[in-house]
Amino acid sequence: MYQIIESNPDTKGKVKLIGIGAGNSPFEVNYFSETYKIPFPLFDDKHYEIHEMVGMVRTPYFFVVKINKDGTHKLTYTQLGGFKTPEEFLDLILKESGLR
Amino acid sequence: MKKIMLVNISIIILSLFLVAGSAFGLSEVYKNNIYDPGMLKPKDSVLNVKVGERVPDFSLPSVQGGNVTLGQFHGKKNVVLSFIPAAWTPVCSDQWPGYNIAQPIFDKFDAILLGISADNIPTLFAWTNQMGDLWFPVLSDFWPHGALASKLGILRSNGTTERATFIIDKQGIIRYIDVHDINERPPLEDIVRELQKLK
Repeated sequence: MYQIIESNPDTKGKVKLIGIGAGNSPFEVNYFSETYKIPFPLFDDKHYEIHEMVGMVRTPYFFVVKINKDGTHKLTYTQLGGFKTPEEFLDLILKESGLR
Repeated sequence: MKKIMLVNISIIILSLFLVAGSAFGLSEVYKNNIYDPGMLKPKDSVLNVKVGERVPDFSLPSVQGGNVTLGQFHGKKNVVLSFIPAAWTPVCSDQWPGYNIAQPIFDKFDAILLGISADNIPTLFAWTNQMGDLWFPVLSDFWPHGALASKLGILRSNGTTERATFIIDKQGIIRYIDVHDINERPPLEDIVRELQKLK
């Protein structure tokens, strides 16, 4: 999905991906990132602080946050579990966010 | 945590994932099949062995078939014993999948990982099947119940083992012991750090 976002001028620079490793240490997240060559930022959440903030969800879990022009933000879509294809998922979340 | 500039960004997609382990068996793979025993006494045993001692040889049945013997690795591999208390419980259910993607680390340090619990073979089979293909042997210390765990001094009073890691060098000598708080997953870097010392 990252490659699709970055190769499309309509989404490049406008859509960002962030990964959060629930319960994972910085070492583990870094190892995962290097092993799978993840091109977007990953963050550790070793003590489940973020995980608790978002409701202790199961994984993988996706939150889509729209940043408004005035700097406020809105949660536009959430999903538990993976997706069939990155194209379909991106299309869905862009529609849910009003960007398509 | 890095600060991200939000200028010109319209949407941010946050993905919560897990590399290895949590207190909740977080992966959706397990869905409603994880039994949560709640917070447990962090440790409930008295260690019988020390760093520098030789590990008693053992032979345990493997989910993959046949038996695995510690002696078969003598002179060939460093051995990491990963004891987990119980199948289908939190922490355990994320700990071993985490080791699954870490095989290159074990290979780098000429180490084999043996996953062990006091569950029986069918239980371990069903549980580890949920994890996909594991590269390491999964062994049952079910019968005589917890015999190996008892010899090592990590059998808890309820018949489960501690969440314990032993690192044994190629000469069969214990080089590292971690009897971890049963409610927490030991971080991967602890094993890496200790394996590095064996090089």
